[in-house]
Amino acid sequence: MKKFNIPHNFEFTSIITLYAQWIREGKLKVNSDWNRDLKIKFTLQDPCNIVRKTWGELMADDLRFVIKTIVGEENFVDMIPCGTNNFCCGGGGGALQAGLPEQRRAYGKVKFDQIIKTGANYVFAPCHNCHGQMEDIGEFYGGNYHVVHIWTIMCLAMGVLGENERAYLGPDLAKVGL
Amino acid sequence: MSKQAIGSVLVVGGGIAGIQASLDLADSGYLVYLVEKNSAIGGVMSQLDKTFPTNDCSMCIISPKLVEVGRHLNIELLTLSEVQSISGEQGNFEIKLTQHPRYVDVDKCIACGICAEKCPKKVLNEYDAGLGKRKSIYLKYAQAVPLKYAIDENCIYFKKGKCKACEKFCPSDAINFDDKQKELTINAGAILIAPGSAVYDPSVYDTYGYKQSPNIVTSLEFERILAATGPFAGDLVRPSDKKAPAKIAWLQCVGSRDINTCDNSYCSSVCCMYANKQAVIAKEHCDDPLDTAIFFMDLRTYGKDFDKYNLRAQEDHGVRFIRSRIHSVFPDDDDKLRIVYATESGKRAEERFDMVVLSVGLSPGKDVAGLAEKMGVELNNHGFARTSCLSPVSTNREGIFVCGTFQEPKDIPHTVMEASASAAAATGNLSHARWSLTRVKEMPPEENVTGQKPRIGVFVCNCGINIGGVADVPAIRDYARDLTHVIHVEDNLFTCSQDNQDHIKQIIREKGINRVVVASCSPRTHEPLFQETIRDAGLNKYLFEMANIRDHNTWVHMDNPEKATEKAKDLVRMAVAKAAYSEPLHQVSLKISKAALVIGGGVSGMEAAVGIADQGRPVYLVEKSIELGGNAKFLGTTWQGEQIGPYLEDLVNRVKNHPDIELFMQTKVTGTTGTMGNFSTTLTSLNGEGKEIKIDHAVTVLATGGREKVPEQYLYGEHPHVMTQLDMDRAFSESDERLSGTKSVVFIQCVGSRIPERPYCSKICCTHSLKSALLLKNKNPKMKVYIVYRDIRSYGFREELYVQAREAGVIFIRYNLKNLPKVESLEDDHLSVTVTDHVLGMPVRLKPDLLVLASGIVPNANTALFEFFKVPVNSEGFLIEAHAKLRPVDFSSEGIFLAGLAHYPKPIEESIAQAKAAASRAMTILAKEEIMVGGVVASVEDARCAACLTCVRTCPYGIPKINEDSHAVIDSAECHGCGMCVSECPGKAISLQHFTDEQLLAKTSALFTSGG
Amino acid sequence: MTSPIELDELYCDFKESVQASIPEANLDLCLTCGACTGGCPASELLDMDPRKLVRMVLLGMDDEVRKTPWAWVCTMCARCFKACPMKINIPKLVYSVRRSWPRDKAPKGIRGSCDQHIRAGNAMGVPSKDFIWVVEDVAEEIQENDPKFKDLKVTVDRKGAHLVINQNSREPVTEPDELGPLWKILHMVEADWTYPSVMWAGENYCLFLADEEGWKYILEEFVYHIDNNLGAKVVVNTE
Repeated sequence: MKKFNIPHNFEFTSIITLYAQWIREGKLKVNSDWNRDLKIKFTLQDPCNIVRKTWGELMADDLRFVIKTIVGEENFVDMIPCGTNNFCCGGGGGALQAGLPEQRRAYGKVKFDQIIKTGANYVFAPCHNCHGQMEDIGEFYGGNYHVVHIWTIMCLAMGVLGENERAYLGPDLAKVGL
Repeated sequence: MSKQAIGSVLVVGGGIAGIQASLDLADSGYLVYLVEKNSAIGGVMSQLDKTFPTNDCSMCIISPKLVEVGRHLNIELLTLSEVQSISGEQGNFEIKLTQHPRYVDVDKCIACGICAEKCPKKVLNEYDAGLGKRKSIYLKYAQAVPLKYAIDENCIYFKKGKCKACEKFCPSDAINFDDKQKELTINAGAILIAPGSAVYDPSVYDTYGYKQSPNIVTSLEFERILAATGPFAGDLVRPSDKKAPAKIAWLQCVGSRDINTCDNSYCSSVCCMYANKQAVIAKEHCDDPLDTAIFFMDLRTYGKDFDKYNLRAQEDHGVRFIRSRIHSVFPDDDDKLRIVYATESGKRAEERFDMVVLSVGLSPGKDVAGLAEKMGVELNNHGFARTSCLSPVSTNREGIFVCGTFQEPKDIPHTVMEASASAAAATGNLSHARWSLTRVKEMPPEENVTGQKPRIGVFVCNCGINIGGVADVPAIRDYARDLTHVIHVEDNLFTCSQDNQDHIKQIIREKGINRVVVASCSPRTHEPLFQETIRDAGLNKYLFEMANIRDHNTWVHMDNPEKATEKAKDLVRMAVAKAAYSEPLHQVSLKISKAALVIGGGVSGMEAAVGIADQGRPVYLVEKSIELGGNAKFLGTTWQGEQIGPYLEDLVNRVKNHPDIELFMQTKVTGTTGTMGNFSTTLTSLNGEGKEIKIDHAVTVLATGGREKVPEQYLYGEHPHVMTQLDMDRAFSESDERLSGTKSVVFIQCVGSRIPERPYCSKICCTHSLKSALLLKNKNPKMKVYIVYRDIRSYGFREELYVQAREAGVIFIRYNLKNLPKVESLEDDHLSVTVTDHVLGMPVRLKPDLLVLASGIVPNANTALFEFFKVPVNSEGFLIEAHAKLRPVDFSSEGIFLAGLAHYPKPIEESIAQAKAAASRAMTILAKEEIMVGGVVASVEDARCAACLTCVRTCPYGIPKINEDSHAVIDSAECHGCGMCVSECPGKAISLQHFTDEQLLAKTSALFTSGG
Repeated sequence: MTSPIELDELYCDFKESVQASIPEANLDLCLTCGACTGGCPASELLDMDPRKLVRMVLLGMDDEVRKTPWAWVCTMCARCFKACPMKINIPKLVYSVRRSWPRDKAPKGIRGSCDQHIRAGNAMGVPSKDFIWVVEDVAEEIQENDPKFKDLKVTVDRKGAHLVINQNSREPVTEPDELGPLWKILHMVEADWTYPSVMWAGENYCLFLADEEGWKYILEEFVYHIDNNLGAKVVVNTE
């Protein structure tokens, strides 16, 4: 909208910002008790679009605050590099639909290696492009990680995740909180 | 106004710039107020380990200057002080200063260190760039001047109202918690600002992770790691695990040449060289092979001997230079650091390092904006002092001058040069007030000890616990009592303390002592103090001996106290044995000539001449051609755009009309005799008659210049459209038709420079081509302009031109020595330049209408002249200064100075600064009526001399001569007292005063006789 | 040896057009330092990298630049831009290269999604009424099956709602069960929200296609709908 100078009367925000705000305000009562004994490890893909290209460090911090709240600080492993310097998944900018799968996957190898290095079982993907790309390269290069939305784990942590809402969870979480 | 001018100068900033300026000023007759905001002077240079390109120990070379400042009668050192306001004008400024409390009485503090040992409060040590800890009561560093402790704001007593441990334990009652801030007012005829710059904080480079890993350090931190006085005592270890690294990377241009992550668009000028040096020194520190890689954009080793240093680093030491800017540093397993980079061919490569050094640039100091505002001094768009290239040390405000890195990021030699230059510029209007405020010390008459039996007093120092904590000082003292000729012994907690000086004087008088021995620390720092003390008691200062039982003994034998005690006894016995043979030596004063001889009528020579003549001293200026002006005649503008023509015209007029300058055109020097203070030189006219004239002068300035080399390649001289940069300038000013209708111009850089025959950078050609390219683009923005280069070396703020040139669409194509551009003349006589594009790796062809060759600078050949003055030249024919770092305009032979292209290629602003510096250095001699000579000098026993010429050949200064009676004479006024001729003389005809055979044999034989 | 490129015969039209539309792109300032390329996962793919692309633009190799499919491998992630000492906006340059492609030559997948978005308000081409139907159906199911959420409220185009939330079209089209968790969270914090029926999708393929007209149209439609029909204060991106 800035690019085209379209006047508008509303402001833009991200759901992540709201999650963080609601947790801080105590509106969103969520914690990581469910994972205290399970100790399932999570990592996070910083989507270029909302982190590096839009909200920067603030978004990177909010993402980590939200995720550490729902999985436990000790169960969160950052990629190297992370935050505003994280690598793109390789699926962004339309690449997923650009018809160049060989190059897209070669690009994604960097992301795949990053994920594997963390040793995490789950990768949070707060972006649908990242989600799709990381699932694809995980399968292509033989990674045994799962890609999840934040809302899935948040509902899991609050014990409100339905049985039919677990398509992206692995067997280790299939029954947790039911 | 100059009639009422005040003979004092305020110098703000006690780094190497402020130090050099203060010494020059004080030595040439002005009272100096040196204001430093820290507790000690020394600045950044005191923190460095080694210095390029000589690899000298930084502390070792700055320390004598620190001591000199501390002891100089005409330098009033005001530490912990800041300027509050100034009023008045050139010739008479009034300056209000605030001096912050030190809480330690400097007259009482003996720097024993007990306070710091007892102080419970630890804080980060800024001297170690934050790597180590110090106490809240601290000495900035071991060699600090003043050598006095200070208490900082972290003190527990200040915070909580109790503690005072320092006060309880201080043996000399020096702690004063009631110390108050003082407001001072001083008057000065001129002001020099040299507050330096700040070291860039790389935390904002989040992709480099400086804050994330302890093994990512700044270059200043790395200096401290290398330094023996640093946090790891000079062991090269990684901070994370204190293990020796096997691989280290340097990342260049952190906080420089960057308008994205930071706002420092300029080049910091020093980082390429210090990275070279650090890599070489780091390798020397390691027992196992150390791999070093320097990641850079352009290699800017543009200074004198820098390229040679770089070649040695690559070829002899195996330092790797990788042309790639690093995107990110990733922490990896085992505390290692992973770097992925693009090679020159566009491939990505990956390496793991144990340490990464961020070569951080120089930023404006954090307080300088405020200081500049108080001073009414303008800053440039980078936050540094704004100066003109044609008056490089003058600010916008008359009477206020600037030098060092506050003016522009620069290295130490250039800083020292500017410091001297600013001293000369500042006093140009104060010469009437010279010596009006300086102080002279009154001395009692010297007692005649000739014929007296030696009566030796021995003072043994405990140096707090430094000596007494290891060796048995009372035993040493008692041992000394029984040595021959000793009539008094005592030991002191600190022999150097102020009250002990009075005590020693009293004992000398009471007991009729005529030789004094102090067994303590290093004569390097303390001998002058004790010599002054005994001189105050009426003894000749050479009747003093020192035994270094600390640095050479208790510091190195800490784990063996018994042997240390025995060694101390040996050292004391030897000192006493020598003292018994000590003789008073008398320096004699020698009247000196008032005039200066300046050779060379280019900008450097003229600036030096005017600089000296403005100080009221007569100058003979000799030029061999028919015209003044040298190379400047061919130049249009400075890089900043100032017109050189009018400046030159004005300078020539000043030279021609100056009452104190006598001009000798078309004249050359045909012989010279004498030395500092009294040269006699023969000038011969070149215009026909060959008239000879002899002149007497006290000093000589060599400004014999250099010239653009005539290219021997790339069709120069064969094709009419191939020209040099000066040809091009001329073509511009004469509206040459070869420039009209030009659609495409190619510049080739480094023509005749940085090649095996001439392995140096000519320093000015990059800037020159950038300027010319911009002129062309300005004339016709559509014109295709290409610069074919090896490294663009637009150091300092000249980087602006490089930015502008790229902005204007100039295309830069890099070549290397293995793949030179190919220049041909096509069948239609059009030029063709083929070169491989450094990014695409493909050949590209340019068909320029004009090919400009950036040909290097060569020195003017003046073999005979340099022989007359016995000044050395290097293999490229440039004059060799006394010391590359700290004596950049002096020669080893005193009284001779240099400036301009004869020293090394440099732009006009640096030639002007160097010429002013030469004037300043010359004035330290010319300001005096007479000089003291003799003392520790060699003397010849005529009868023993066989006139074998060994001394003549040995002397590095060329002082010994064979006289008409066929024996050697060594003029005591000229001798430097180095002792080389003494040791070489086969007939033992020469002896060195104060180090005679008799004295040294007594000392050495005492070593092997167990005394008593 | 390949025959040399005749630089004097090249004119930098493409560079000039980019500079005219993106004056802050700083293309000319390139130092060829390689920071971009060292940090780019797309370097070397299709024998191209960011430094090389900028170089070709500066030398005027417009034909090669306009044709490189690398423009679709680069994801415009801006990691190059972040580290570039000269602040050269390579992502915008790549965008310009994409824009220079004839629309019919651009990758089918992206073009198709953009066309759908323009037509239906989402990249998958789901008509609004289908979207509303899916939303209502899934909501009803949750209300019925989970007593904790029997009051769950999911609305589309509810006038006066404080928040307007967009939704990637993947969920309503291929995995409607994934809609639930977000709604539950919104319900638990008692958020005052609604979905828009116009341009409701979170994705934007016209941006990727560099189809400015399409992109602009989508945004204008969306802004008009929010400001004139709904009056929400905040638009929440769920991507």
